[in-house]
Amino acid sequence: METMLAVENLGKSFKDKKIVANISFEVKKGEIMALLGPNGAGKSTTIRNIMGIMYPDEGSITFQNNQNKEIPRNKIGYLPEERGLYKNVKVMDILLYLAELKDYPLDRAKERALELLKKFDLEGKDKVSVEELSKGMGQKVQFIAAILHEPELLILDEPFSGLDPVSQELFKNEIRGLAQNGTAILLSSHQMNLVEEMADRLFLIHRGTKVIYGPLDDVKKQYANFKCTIHGVNERSLLESLPEVERVEQTEESAVLYLSKDVQPATWLKNLPAEMDVQELSIDRISLHEIFIDIATDKNLLKREGDLDA
Amino acid sequence: MRNTKKVAKWEIKRNMKNKTFLIGLFISPILFLAFYLIPDLFNNSDEDPVSTTVFVNDQLGVYEDLEATVQQAGAEWELQPTDISEEEAAGALESEENSAYVFIDERAFDGGVLPVYQSEEISPLFMNEVQLLGAPLQAMQIEELGLTPEEATVIAQGVVFEDASAGAAAETEASAGMDEDLLRSIVPGIFAAAVLLSIVFTGMAIFQSASQEKKDKIAEIILSSLTPGELMQGKIIGYFVLGIIQVIVFIVLVLPVLVWKIDVPILEYLFVPELALMLVIAILGYLLYAALFVGIGATMADISTAGNFQGMIMMLPFTALIFVGPVFSDPSGIWAQIGSYIPFTSPAILILRLSLLEEWPWVEIIIALAILVVSVWVFMKLAGKIFKIGILMYGKNATPGEIWKWIRA
Repeated sequence: METMLAVENLGKSFKDKKIVANISFEVKKGEIMALLGPNGAGKSTTIRNIMGIMYPDEGSITFQNNQNKEIPRNKIGYLPEERGLYKNVKVMDILLYLAELKDYPLDRAKERALELLKKFDLEGKDKVSVEELSKGMGQKVQFIAAILHEPELLILDEPFSGLDPVSQELFKNEIRGLAQNGTAILLSSHQMNLVEEMADRLFLIHRGTKVIYGPLDDVKKQYANFKCTIHGVNERSLLESLPEVERVEQTEESAVLYLSKDVQPATWLKNLPAEMDVQELSIDRISLHEIFIDIATDKNLLKREGDLDA
Repeated sequence: MRNTKKVAKWEIKRNMKNKTFLIGLFISPILFLAFYLIPDLFNNSDEDPVSTTVFVNDQLGVYEDLEATVQQAGAEWELQPTDISEEEAAGALESEENSAYVFIDERAFDGGVLPVYQSEEISPLFMNEVQLLGAPLQAMQIEELGLTPEEATVIAQGVVFEDASAGAAAETEASAGMDEDLLRSIVPGIFAAAVLLSIVFTGMAIFQSASQEKKDKIAEIILSSLTPGELMQGKIIGYFVLGIIQVIVFIVLVLPVLVWKIDVPILEYLFVPELALMLVIAILGYLLYAALFVGIGATMADISTAGNFQGMIMMLPFTALIFVGPVFSDPSGIWAQIGSYIPFTSPAILILRLSLLEEWPWVEIIIALAILVVSVWVFMKLAGKIFKIGILMYGKNATPGEIWKWIRA
C-alpha cells in the first residue's frame, strides 16, 4: 500500500516544555489510522504540525514520498478539534469558499455539497445561515467541508466528540466508505470503542511519547490479555492462588482476575476449585478502553507488560 | 497570490451580504446629507417673507441715492416713495405690519436728526439698519458746505482704527485672491481625507474580522488551505476594496448634492494632479493602520475583552488629531513637521498640510513618504509574525510580553 504520510521523529516544545517527542508513524492509502491518547497527550499538537499550522522543532513530515517540503494542502482534508464556522453566512457559501481555497472546481463542489448535505440529513439547509444550525448540524457541515474536495488524505481531530449516536453512526459509515475508496485517514480520538470498531492501525500516545504503535489486531493480541470476571464472594488468597493470575482487583461481590499472556482459557477454567462461589463468570480480552484508562491513570500495567515484552 | 485573492473576494462577498455592513455603507453618506440639507430647509421657510416696507417722504430729492444705498447694502427692504405727512403716518402704521415711514427734509441740515415711524411688528434690527440711509445724506451735507470733492472725500472717509500687525495686513491683502486658491487646494485635500477616513474606518473591521475568526474558531480550517500570510494579505486587500466601495457610495450620493448646492466648480478642482499624491498618502496610511489592526485583532479573543495595550494601539490612528490645531495655525511649523515624520500621524497631517500650503515642501514630503513606506513594510512584517501565532491562540488575549516574544521569534 502506498504511504500517504510519514511522520518521523517529530518533536515540538512550547517554551521549555516538550509537548511531543520522537513521534514516528505512517498513514497508508485506504487505511484508517487512529491516533489515540488521553486529553493533553499531544494528539492535536501532532496533527497541527502535520498540517503546517505549527512548525516542528525536530523530525520530518513527508507527504506521499515527495521530498520537497511543500504541504499538498489541496489534497488534504482537515477537521480540526476546535470547531467553528463563520457565523452569519449561508451554509452553501462557506462550503464553496472552503472548496475554492482547495482549488476544487466550483460546479463540482456545488453538486457534491448538495449530495453530501442530503446524505447527512441536511437537505434544504444549504441556504440557511450557519448561526441557525444546531451544534451537531454545524459539525456535519464542517465534516462535509473537510471531505468536499475529495482529499487523498483526511485528517480528523476528534471527529466524534459531541455527536449523538445516530450521527456517530453516519460519520463512521462515511469514514469507512472513504477508506474503502482509497482515502488515507488519520483520526484522533479518545473514544476507544469507536476506534476499536474502525481503525486498522493505531498509535497510542501519552505525555507526548509513543506507547503502542501497530495494527489493531496485533495490539490486541499483544496487549489485551484475557481477564476473568467472577461475580461471587471469594477469599482474595484463594483467587491469588490460582495459576496464571497476574493481578486481582476485588470488590465485595466480584473480582477481576488478570491472566498472563499465554493462558489457554479452556484449560485454565478447569483449574477453578469446586468450593469457589460463582454466580456469574465471564472471560474476555482486556478492551482498548481498559488499556487506555490503564495508561492514562498511570497504573502501569502495560508498562510492565512492555517490560516483559522487552 | 491566488489564495490572497480568494480570501479578499470572500471578505468582500461576506460583507456585501451582511445587513449591518450594508446599512453602514449607506448610513454615513445619508447622515452627512441630512446634516447638510436639513438646516437649509428650516432656514428657507423662516426667512422668506420678512421684508420691510419703508416709505420715504423725500423732500430733498435723494430718493434715488437712497435706493442705490439700500441695494448695495443688501437690506431686505422695499423702498417706496410717499408724500404722506408725519401726522398721517402715525395713523397709517396702526393698520400696517412691518413697515416704517422715514421723513427726509431740511432737518437733515439743521440738527442732523430725522424722524422714523415704525409699525409695532418690525425687525428689532431695523433701527440699526436705517442708519444706512445716513451715508448719502451726509454726502449731501458735505456738498452743502461747498467743499471741494477732495475735501469731501476726506471728511466722508471718517477715521477708522485698523489692526496693523504684519500677518493681519497680509491676510486682508490676500484674502480676496486666496479664496479661490484655497478652495482649489482644499477640495482634493478634503476628498483624500474622506478616502483615508473611510478606508481606515472600514479597515477597523479587519480587526473585527481577525478576532471574530478566532472566536468562531474557523481559523484552523482556513489555515489548513493557505498560509497565515496569505490570509492576512487577503483580509487587508479585501477590506481595502470595501473601503473604496464605501468611498464610491459616498461620492455617488453626496457629490451631486454638493455640486448642486455649492457654487464652486468642485469637479474641476477635484481632478487635479495633486489628488494623485494625496491618494497615495491615503493608501499608505490605510496599509499602515490595516497592519496594526490585523495584528492586534489576531491577539484578541474578543473585542469586549480588549486590554489596555490593545486599546492604546487602536487609538494610534487618532493621535493625528493632536497635531491638527498647531498644523492649522502654521502648516509649515515645527509641529507640522514632527507630525509628518511620525508614521501614525503622517498620512492625516500630510494631507492636511498639502491642502493648506500653496508651495509644497517637496523635501519634507519625500522624507515623510519614505518614512511612511518603510513603516508600512516593517509593520506588515510584524503583523505577519503576530498574526501567524495569534490567530491560533484560542480563548485568551495575548499579553504584550507574549506579543514581543512572537515578534522576536
